[in-house]
Amino acid sequence: MLLRRLLLRNHRNYAHLDISMEPGVNVFLGANGQGKTNLLESVAMLALSASPRARREVELVGPVAAASRIEAEVESSGRRMELVIALNVEGERARRTIEVDGARRRAVDLPGHFRVTLFWPDDLGLIKAGPDQRRRFLNQLLVQVQPGYARALSGLRRILEQRNSLLKRIAAGEAAADQLDVWNAELVRVGTEVVDARASAVNELAPEAARCHAEIGSGERLEIQYLGPPEDMAAAVHNSLAEDLRRGSTSIGPHRDDLRVLLGGQDARGYGSQGQQRTAVVSLKLAEADLVARRTGERPVLLLDDVLSELDLERRGALLRHVGGGGQVVITSVDVGPFPPDLIANASIWNVEAGQIKACG
Amino acid sequence: MPQLPEPLERLVQELSRLPGVGPKTAQRLAFHLLRADRQRAESLAQAIADVKARIGYCERCYNIAEGSLCAICSSPRRDASVICVVESALDVLAVERTAEFNGLYFVLHGVISPIDGIGPDQIHVPQLLERAREEGVEEVIVATDADIEGEATAVYLQRALAPLGIKVTRPAHGLPVGGDLEYADELTLARAMAGRRSF
Ligand SMILES: Nc1ncnc2c1ncn2[C@@H]1O[C@H](COP(=O)(O)OP(=O)(O)OP(=O)(O)O)[C@@H](O)[C@H]1O
Ligand SMILES: [Mg+2]
Ligand SMILES: [Zn+2]
Repeated sequence: MLLRRLLLRNHRNYAHLDISMEPGVNVFLGANGQGKTNLLESVAMLALSASPRARREVELVGPVAAASRIEAEVESSGRRMELVIALNVEGERARRTIEVDGARRRAVDLPGHFRVTLFWPDDLGLIKAGPDQRRRFLNQLLVQVQPGYARALSGLRRILEQRNSLLKRIAAGEAAADQLDVWNAELVRVGTEVVDARASAVNELAPEAARCHAEIGSGERLEIQYLGPPEDMAAAVHNSLAEDLRRGSTSIGPHRDDLRVLLGGQDARGYGSQGQQRTAVVSLKLAEADLVARRTGERPVLLLDDVLSELDLERRGALLRHVGGGGQVVITSVDVGPFPPDLIANASIWNVEAGQIKACG
Repeated sequence: MPQLPEPLERLVQELSRLPGVGPKTAQRLAFHLLRADRQRAESLAQAIADVKARIGYCERCYNIAEGSLCAICSSPRRDASVICVVESALDVLAVERTAEFNGLYFVLHGVISPIDGIGPDQIHVPQLLERAREEGVEEVIVATDADIEGEATAVYLQRALAPLGIKVTRPAHGLPVGGDLEYADELTLARAMAGRRSF
C-alpha cells in the first residue's frame, strides 16, 4: 500500500498543499501547532472516511473558504487509484462527498481502498481509557479489512437510534410494545455480523500481540479477550426489555463490547504499570498492522504521530524494527532526537511550518 | 438583502419549500418565471392545480390514481393473488418498467421509523392485512429498500402476514445493498424480482 501524492485544499491549517510521498520512511518535522497531526489526520481520513479525532466535520474546514478537499493518488497491489474527500459547509454542518477514481461512493464504501495503521499519543491510553476507545481500535481495523463491516457498523448505529427512540415512545404510551420485535430482530441480525467480525479479529490479533509483548517486555505474557454480548443475543435482548424500557436505551448489543487485556493473567487496566500498559499498546498496534498485512497481502501505510518521543528506548526499538520492515511509513516528530541515525539517513525528511511543507534533503 | 415585491417574495418562499430547492435556486426559478411569457407561467400554474384536483390515491393500493382506483387495480389482466409492497409510487413505476411482474401493488408511502414517529398504522399496514385476508392473496412480495428501515418494515410485514398462511417473499439478487429501489437499473431490478426468495 502506497500513498503517492497528497493534495489538501483548505484542510484545517493547510490552505494549499501538494506533496509527492516517497515509498519508504517519510519523516515530518515541525514545532508545535504547525500542522503535523492535521497532515496525518487527512491521510487517515482517506482510509476511514471520517476523521479519527474531529467530533464535527466542520472543524476540518479551514478559514479560506466554505469548502475543503483531500485528494490522493494511492497504489494498492500495483493498481493506482484516485481518492477524494470533499467537504462543503452548509450552515452548521458539512456535507461530505467521496469519490474513487471519479465515481461517487458512500462513506461506508471508501474504507478498504487505502489502508493505514494509525498510532498517535491518544492510543497510549488505550488500556486505561474506557471501552469505547477499544471498540474504536477494533472498528478502525475492521472497516479496512472486512468488506461489509463499515456498513454493518453504520446500520447498527441506526438500529440503536430507532430502537431507543421506540423504547421512549412505548414508555410514554405513544407506541405499542409489539413494535419492538422487529428492532430486536434487526439488532440481533446486524449485531451478530459485528460480533463475529470482532471475535475473529481478536483471535487473529492475540498471537502476534503476545509475541511482540513477550519480546519487548522480556517474556511477560499478554492475552487479549473479546468481551461481546451474551452468546444467545436474542434471548438476552428479550430478557432486558423491562430494563431497556425503564432506561429508554438498549442495554444488550455490540455497542457495549470491550476488549480485555491481561498481563501475566491479571487485568492490565488495574494491575499493569504505566510502562507495561504502554508495551501492551505498542504490541496491539503492531499486531494490528500485521493483521492487515496478512488479510490483504499488503502492508498498511503506518502513520506514527509523535509517538516515538513518548516511548522509551526498548519500545521505540520494537516499533522501529517494524518500521524498518519495508512498508511505507509516515512519522511526525518535533525534532530528530528520537530517531536512530541510520533511519534518518535512509528516510525522506520534510519540514512542516505553518501549513507549508518543504522537503529537506 | 433588498426587499422583493410581495408577490415575488411569496413565489420565492413557495419554491424554496420544494425538495432539493435552496433559497438561491428558488430565487433563480422565481426570476425565470417572472421573465417567462404569461402563457407558459399560467400553464405551469394550471398543471399544478390539475394534479391536485384530478389525481388522488387509489382506494385499494394507495398508488396514484385518476379516480377511485388506479390503472393497475382496474386492469382485468392483472393477477390479484400476488401483491408487491413498495415504499413509494415511484417504486411502482420502477417495478412496472421491468415488465417482470403482473400482480397488484400496495404502496406504503413510507417505512417504519420510530425516530420520525412512523409506525405500522401510519403506513397503512392494517389496510394491507385486511386486503390480504379478504382478497384471497397467496403471495406478498415485500420490495422495500434494503436499508435498515426498509429491512425492519419487511420483517414487520413478514411477521404480520405469515400467520395468515400467506407466502411472503423479498426480492433478493442484485438489489444494491443499502440502496434505493427507485435508483436501481432495470436489469438489476428485473433479476431481483425474478429471483425473489422466501423469508
Ligand atoms: N479548521 C481549522 N482551520 C485553521 N486552522 C486550524 C483548523 N483546525 C486546526 N487548526 C490549526 O492547525 C494548527 C496545527 O495543528 P496540529 O494539531 O496539526 O499541530 P501539530 O503540528 O501536530 O502540533 P503538536 O506538535 O503540538 O502536536 C493548530 O495551530 C490549529 O489551531
Ligand atoms: Mg500533533
Ligand atoms: Zn390501485
